[in-house]
Amino acid sequence: MKSSLVGLKKAAGYLAIVVGISSALVGCSGESATSSDSKSADKTEKKVQEIRVVAANHPWTESIKKELPAFEKETGIKVKIDSYFEDQLTQKTSVEFASNSKGIDVVMFRPLQDGKMYNKSGYFAEMSSYVGSEKGYTDDFIPSSLGSVKDGEKFYGLPLVTETEVLYYRKDLLEKAGLEVPKTLEDLEAAAKKLNDPAKGVSGFVSRGKRAAAVTQFSSYLYDFGGDFMKDGKSTITSPEAIEAFNYYGKMLNKYGPKGTLNMSWPEAMAVFTQGHAAFYTDASSLFTNATDPAKSQVADKVGFAPFPAGPEGIKPYNITSWALGIGANSEKKDAAWKFIKWVESKEMVLKLQTEGNPGARISVWNSPEGTAKFPKDLAEAIAANGKAEAVPYDRPVLINVGAARDVIGDVILAGIEGKDVKAAAEKADKEFQKILDSEK
Amino acid sequence: MSGNKPNTTKSIFTHAGVYLSLFLFLLPFLWMLLASFKTQVQILDTSKLFEITANFSNYISVFNKYSFLSFIWNSFIVGVGATVFGLILGLPAAYSIARYKQEGLGLLILVARIVPGISFLIPWFIIFSKLHLIDTYTSLILSHMLVTMPFIIWVMIPFFEGLPHELEESARVDGCSIPSAFVRVMLPISGPGIVTSSILAFIFSWNNFMFSLILAGDNTKTLPIAVFNFISYSEINWGGLMAASVIITAPVLILALFAQKYIIAGLTGGSVKG
Repeated sequence: MKSSLVGLKKAAGYLAIVVGISSALVGCSGESATSSDSKSADKTEKKVQEIRVVAANHPWTESIKKELPAFEKETGIKVKIDSYFEDQLTQKTSVEFASNSKGIDVVMFRPLQDGKMYNKSGYFAEMSSYVGSEKGYTDDFIPSSLGSVKDGEKFYGLPLVTETEVLYYRKDLLEKAGLEVPKTLEDLEAAAKKLNDPAKGVSGFVSRGKRAAAVTQFSSYLYDFGGDFMKDGKSTITSPEAIEAFNYYGKMLNKYGPKGTLNMSWPEAMAVFTQGHAAFYTDASSLFTNATDPAKSQVADKVGFAPFPAGPEGIKPYNITSWALGIGANSEKKDAAWKFIKWVESKEMVLKLQTEGNPGARISVWNSPEGTAKFPKDLAEAIAANGKAEAVPYDRPVLINVGAARDVIGDVILAGIEGKDVKAAAEKADKEFQKILDSEK
Repeated sequence: MSGNKPNTTKSIFTHAGVYLSLFLFLLPFLWMLLASFKTQVQILDTSKLFEITANFSNYISVFNKYSFLSFIWNSFIVGVGATVFGLILGLPAAYSIARYKQEGLGLLILVARIVPGISFLIPWFIIFSKLHLIDTYTSLILSHMLVTMPFIIWVMIPFFEGLPHELEESARVDGCSIPSAFVRVMLPISGPGIVTSSILAFIFSWNNFMFSLILAGDNTKTLPIAVFNFISYSEINWGGLMAASVIITAPVLILALFAQKYIIAGLTGGSVKG
């Protein structure tokens, strides 16, 4: 009798400890996103819904946050936006998706970097039924932008932010030398040669030279020469066209580039250009404010923009969707998520955000004067010209393992810049690239 | 006199070495500090590398536009919480491992620290999201204890080993139980070790990135994650980034300078055993 009483006392003691600890845990838990999500999902549609949007640190995210109250008023759907730097966003969303969490309703993603992997892993909800239910919904979107978010005919996202490769140049230097804005790659080389003046600290040309980072900006050169990364699952980086492109890009940076291009991604290359140390620069249109904002650039009033120069095969720049919106596969509020996407992708909203400097994917907005008011006139024209050209909807090989492929191809670009044997480097890279391609079959 | 000469040359070399390494180690800090007072254009201009400017706009934007106070608060809560709970569990554990030679247990705890943190993340995310603890201090403190506790234990094991057994035995003779001998006799004389391990544990938690990235949300975002707010897709705000880095580094630096003498005493405390 006595011993059982002691046992009971002990058990009661343990119980008290457990209750104490768990209440302490609950006590500090505060507001939890996931718990409120699942609670509201259990109730009927009429209750106030909250959807969670996981987005990137991007000007678009800043702009849309200001517009949210209007959406909440209109639909009764509350929107909570978490935003992260792009690489963190990929890590965070992959962990959440991989653990089958229901927490993500809308996800902002990079179609060319993460899209294929996410899609193959089943992270996205199929969007075709939503897109298809609105007649002619996609007619107003730039076709190459749509190409970035489709798997065959199926949509797994809608394009949000677009970009294309343009030529940044120094108006004053060209004028002084009496040069025309280059229209072809040949002209570009001649002009860069003429303006290259290392003694005065001005190089003719700058662009990305850092291994993986360079691949995307090299891609337009590759297409211009008639090459591509792959065709029907076979690597094509040793084709004569591709070798020519590698040689051209390498030669431009080797002969007319500043020192240290091998370590340059866009922040470094852009800094060289905005500090007035380069005459020409090719990179994404989305970076333009870095060059035209006097707080960031010493040459803000001297920057000109032109369409990507034509190669032997015509003007074939990339024109891609850099960011898109998708719906989480496990979301319990897919209808609300679609309502949100439809609202941010509406003509009015795209126009509104584009006037704040976020290049969208709607043709009608690009054709309207308000839509391009925020962009320098020559940049808007360059983007429009690129859009009309035979633009390519990807700026890197579209694979699951994009990172590894970019490293392999980056090696060939490096060989070109260093003036080494490009053909040998390409043949070596070709084998490794093919291995990556085969592993994804 | 002649005996002095090698000494002077030696001291010249020693000084030169000290200043050279100081220069190398402090240069990034100096650049960070100078850059935090500059505008973007000035930062990128290499000819003005060491120009000193007094422009506080970066600091103002860090607090106004990016509301860094809340991130500092989050980091502080998580760091202190993880360190305190790490001490509560870690100190008795370290004492018992040191006193009763439980080397296997010690090794097991070390393994938990050696395993790459990322391998815990998906299971943790699943567990914490089932418990609705994502984006709470609870989950962050618990996860950061994986950083702090093994560290505290491993700093404290040699420290406790260095303390004479006789102390505990005398306390026992005077009628203490083992736990109360530990609390009343051993802990009070372990001050330097505890200070060292908690400061370093706090710093590790303060700087931890990965656990906070996955388990924190908008309400509990910690400083290392928030710093990336200055880097966006098409823009890097160097001035703001550097101002934020100064703000993040300052408390840790002050803490370390303040407790420097304890740290040295604590780290060497266990090294000479009788």
